[in-house]
Amino acid sequence: MKRKLIGAIGVAGMMIGVAACGGSGGSGGSKASGGDAGNTITVWLMSGSNPPNWTKQITAAYEKKYPGKKVKIAVQQWDGIQQKLTTALSESTPPDVIEVGNTQTPYYAATGGLKDLSKDKAALGGADWLPAMAKSSVYDGKQIAVPWYAASRVVVYNKKIWADAGIKSTPKTQDELFTDLGKIQAKGTKDALYLPGRDWYAFDGMLLDAGADLVKKDGDTYKGNLDTPQAAQAMALYKKLNSYGTAPKDKDEATPQQSDVFAKGDVGAFIGLGWEAAGAISKNPKLKDQVGFFALPGKTADKTAAVFLGGSNLAISQGTKNPKGAMNFLKMAMSDKFEGALAKEGGIVPNKASLNSNLAGNAFGTVSAAAAANGGTTPLIPEWGNVENAPNPITTLYMTGVLQGQSPSAAAKKADAEMDKRLSQK
Amino acid sequence: MAAQYRGTKTRGPDPAVTPPQAGAALVAGSAKPSRPARPSTTGRASRFLPYLLLLPTLVATAVLLGYPLVRNLLISFQTLEPFQLIQHTTEWNGFGNYADQLTSSDFWHTAGRSVAFTAANVVLIMVAGTLIGLLLKRLGKRMRLLLSIGLVFAWAMPQVAGTTVYQWLFDTRNGVVNWALDGVGWHAMHNYNWLGHQLSTFAVITLMVVWGSIPFVALNLFAGLTTVSAEIFEAARMDGASAWRTFWQVVFPMLKPFFLSTTFLEVIWVFKAFTQVYALNAGGPEGLTETLPVYAYVEGFGNQHFGTGAAISMLTIVILMALMSYYFRVILKQEDEL
Amino acid sequence: MRRSLAGRLWPNIIAVVLFVFFIFPVYWMVTTAFKPDLDIVSSTPVLFPTHWTFTHFVKAVHADGFWTFVGNSFFVTIGAVVLSLIVATLSSFAVARMRFKGRKAFILMIMMAQMAPWEVLTISVYLIVRDSNALNSLLPLTLFYMMMVLPFTIWTLRGFIAAVPKELEEAALVDGCTRFQSFVRIVLPLLAPGLMATSLFGYITAWNEYALVLILNKDSGQTLTLWLTQFQTNFGDDWGATMAAASFFTLPVVVVFLFLQRRAGGGLLSGAVKG
Repeated sequence: MKRKLIGAIGVAGMMIGVAACGGSGGSGGSKASGGDAGNTITVWLMSGSNPPNWTKQITAAYEKKYPGKKVKIAVQQWDGIQQKLTTALSESTPPDVIEVGNTQTPYYAATGGLKDLSKDKAALGGADWLPAMAKSSVYDGKQIAVPWYAASRVVVYNKKIWADAGIKSTPKTQDELFTDLGKIQAKGTKDALYLPGRDWYAFDGMLLDAGADLVKKDGDTYKGNLDTPQAAQAMALYKKLNSYGTAPKDKDEATPQQSDVFAKGDVGAFIGLGWEAAGAISKNPKLKDQVGFFALPGKTADKTAAVFLGGSNLAISQGTKNPKGAMNFLKMAMSDKFEGALAKEGGIVPNKASLNSNLAGNAFGTVSAAAAANGGTTPLIPEWGNVENAPNPITTLYMTGVLQGQSPSAAAKKADAEMDKRLSQK
Repeated sequence: MAAQYRGTKTRGPDPAVTPPQAGAALVAGSAKPSRPARPSTTGRASRFLPYLLLLPTLVATAVLLGYPLVRNLLISFQTLEPFQLIQHTTEWNGFGNYADQLTSSDFWHTAGRSVAFTAANVVLIMVAGTLIGLLLKRLGKRMRLLLSIGLVFAWAMPQVAGTTVYQWLFDTRNGVVNWALDGVGWHAMHNYNWLGHQLSTFAVITLMVVWGSIPFVALNLFAGLTTVSAEIFEAARMDGASAWRTFWQVVFPMLKPFFLSTTFLEVIWVFKAFTQVYALNAGGPEGLTETLPVYAYVEGFGNQHFGTGAAISMLTIVILMALMSYYFRVILKQEDEL
Repeated sequence: MRRSLAGRLWPNIIAVVLFVFFIFPVYWMVTTAFKPDLDIVSSTPVLFPTHWTFTHFVKAVHADGFWTFVGNSFFVTIGAVVLSLIVATLSSFAVARMRFKGRKAFILMIMMAQMAPWEVLTISVYLIVRDSNALNSLLPLTLFYMMMVLPFTIWTLRGFIAAVPKELEEAALVDGCTRFQSFVRIVLPLLAPGLMATSLFGYITAWNEYALVLILNKDSGQTLTLWLTQFQTNFGDDWGATMAAASFFTLPVVVVFLFLQRRAGGGLLSGAVKG
């Protein structure tokens, strides 16, 4: 009796569910997709890529050039962006223009969510792009995005703390760096260098410097390749640098924002970007004349260490309701005028060598552009996006693992296993 | 009418007798609702009346719960990755997602962890909650008020806020817990990173869950106890029964429906706990504190294998149903006795 | 028969210890929110603050979109609770007062619905809402929250309705009231405390909800829950401001709790039976 009853309600519930299914599906498509989609374009920029003056100027210029049209710039956090962007691209009114991290571009390109810009390449200035930067904007022979800017991380340091420790000039070799950090610690500064345990892009630079290959090809698929002497060497350097401060071993550079930590004025240095230094100064104006930059030194004085050439591309979503407006905005952002202004204000490496003059007088930009000469990226394969999906096995399993006392090899095996899993997913 | 009122009183915990908490009413009411009356008229209209009254609930449940469940079931048989999501294409893969999960050690570890986590928490909550409820009964008026205030605040604290506060209490550098432990002589706890290890993370989560759940049990038990007439306790005492025996032979049988329903709710709430686990440490370190709901979320939304996530969630539902089947039987049996 | 001094003392000592255990996180949240930064990060925590500041609260209120999120949270919470009370009252009345075929099946369905694991249904809920073009809107949130609290509400109200002596209703029927009139005039007033007690659960659930709003709404469609969890990311390790935000978030719940608690506690039925 009871069983019959349960069965009956199950069937009834299912039928109602199926009926509801048809109804709701029908009503789904009929709804208008935002009244002003034709006039307003939405631009997603990442936190840190939106210098205030540049943002204001390009918005004003666009709205002046195209009367009646509007630009809405929405600033996104890097944390969780991959999930947010994937779902947004699937929606009926996706953002029109999107900033995509250079290493994540192949991942999105493979989903078909980005518009093919090949035929507009010339109009966007494609002839003069720096080849190293343009590489990540091409997928499967198609121009799926345009290179916007690059930046390499450098050491941001507090001149006063360094001078107080009796240091006269910035270090030229790794050994000098260790000596200097030691001196600062001896002076009672707890954080001579604030390097949290999961600063992935800082670590990627060290991996590049040590010559470690993150993946190896195994037949049709890629496999994780962290269990190598080169990776262990990079990790040993990272561990040593981490030990010159009290930064958490299981946090990345954004939780808390390392610039906020630096802004307190009792931190000797951190590895970061120009906007982070600017953020620290805006939080604590007293630091204004105290912030200096130098490239992470290499083993010998003749060459600075290799760095991760971070950067961003701009793309137009496949589902944009306003392809023309999006393209107009893209052309404006890629023009020498605004690309130059971005370089000037943000201190980033512009996409054309001819625009480098804009960096004159920008302390970070000059150091960063020089360091970028020795820059590299993560493997440019679509599957790589899976690896960097939170929780990134390299930071959570490998870096934190080693910093908390596991052997590099043991931690690497765990991280590799997870990477294998993720690299095999299409 | 007065007779009816008194009649209810002797029946044990009943909402008619000042239930200070919603839960007490729930628990008591669900156990022994009064006998449904026969329809007073036998007209056509009144025959359909009950169904008419149920209609809004049925429609809401079908559309807002039934449909998502069916849809979820369908997704669990699909390959749904960012590509399919963005292209709006449907790719069936049969039992592929299920086969992957059922043969994955990650899944079974997580399932085992979930069940153990639920069991440990529910036992702690029920035992401590019962003891505190009994204590409330024994306390004087003022002390009872004091303890009740503490309980109500812990109960009212929203989980998200509670999680934030616990993160701060257990903060590595400036957390008051580390300071206090260091202060009483446990120096290893100076700057201890609670969220860096599996067991210590679980310890924090458990403390948070138990802290937040005990008030519900304790206050409702106390509300139930106030309905057990004093003479019964007096009689038990005259017989020379120990406190232990009084509880098992007098209190427990009378409040059995309360214990059943409360345990039922706590098992559901703890097993499904998502906010506390996810917002505290996102299942970390290394995914070692992922429970099934968090695992489904991390695989589905975090790693964007939506089909896999849906399959895990269906399996989660099956496991929860298995855990609950005992209660369904017991509670349905009570309905039979009406 | 008198208990020894120790015998009378120990329950009180335990009660005080438990009081501290339960209240401390709340106390610590509120006091941290009022402490100046220096006291917050000092190596010896300041247990009893002597310097008070409102800067953290000011900062929290001035965070982007705070008032929008406050409005959103109130809208979805109150909407969900009111809707669920209306829907539930109808069904609970039927279940508590009438005998009909399928009654038990309905109860079983409510029990199953009570254990619906919403947190793991996020994917299909997202797709359904996305395909109906209703993302970032408050309506789907309100409806789903309503559904989340509905089973518990029915379950609880059933007990309350059953407790209203049906003789009262029958008397009204004899007096010539229709069934509807007798419900509105007799049962509903008696049910008021029950409705309040029941709504408490709804308020807490809807106010707290995290998993669904996390995937359904962004930007101006967010609720305070999301605001609070993201507050930390945006404000770094500014524990003062974070605790101020958490206090803000907790305050309405505590107010509703204390208010409804007293109302619901007041003698149910006292008027009708004694008077």
